[in-house]
Amino acid sequence: MREVITAPLPGLDLRRHYGHYQSPAIRAGGLIFCSGMIAVDPQTGERQHGTLSSEAQVIFGNLKLLLESAGSSLDRLVQVHALIYDSIEYDVLNRVYRQYVTNGPPARTVWTAQIEAGFKVQLDVVAAA
Amino acid sequence: MSLPRQVMASPLPGLDARRGFDRQMSMVVRGGEFLFVAGLTAVDPNTGERIRGTTMSETHQILANLRLLLEAAGSSLDRVVKVNVLLQSMLEAPNVNEVFAGFFPEPPPARTVCGACLPDGARVMIECTALA
Repeated sequence: MREVITAPLPGLDLRRHYGHYQSPAIRAGGLIFCSGMIAVDPQTGERQHGTLSSEAQVIFGNLKLLLESAGSSLDRLVQVHALIYDSIEYDVLNRVYRQYVTNGPPARTVWTAQIEAGFKVQLDVVAAA
Repeated sequence: MSLPRQVMASPLPGLDARRGFDRQMSMVVRGGEFLFVAGLTAVDPNTGERIRGTTMSETHQILANLRLLLEAAGSSLDRVVKVNVLLQSMLEAPNVNEVFAGFFPEPPPARTVCGACLPDGARVMIECTALA
């Protein structure tokens, strides 16, 4: 059974705002697979470019909203892929990460990649439903 | 009780990475309820020869091959839960998006797109997880 998790707030629907042909998240087999999250205003969908730290904070806030609307939470993350624009910011990511992911942290991979629209960070996660 | 782990047979010789290229990987592996598909680049499904073209044409070829692989494993594009797309250039993301909309039925899977350095001059690589 595959079930689409709809955006709990209009700004979190990247398809609506940017035409991305993707669902915000899919629940299947007891897991929730989220689309890559970028820093957008959860109400308006407006892009919120900033420092890696500020972008990561916005993303974690949005991820919390999305997961909780699906009956999960940041405590139930299983796997995190963190894409950053430059590995020099690795420690900056870790500082924000620690604030939001506290309890038995998930398996994580961080790597450097080009991110859409010039963002500095993107999070791609799987959580237990 | 342990859930099954099964390497799925490739439907066509060109889609068998080990046969053509002796790569130590399987294209589709079932684990529990899921199928995990290896990162696909554009190849001819019959011969395994690589196909290089525009980002759009490569994406089209990859998704056609993905459909073959999934259907041979008893799944289909409408059972895909997550797709990861790696692009040589993020400037091509809108073109890839267009091809996606023509392939995946509603509602689309979750997806992440990022720019990365790809092997063999490929412009696109796509990996996915689907329900078996």
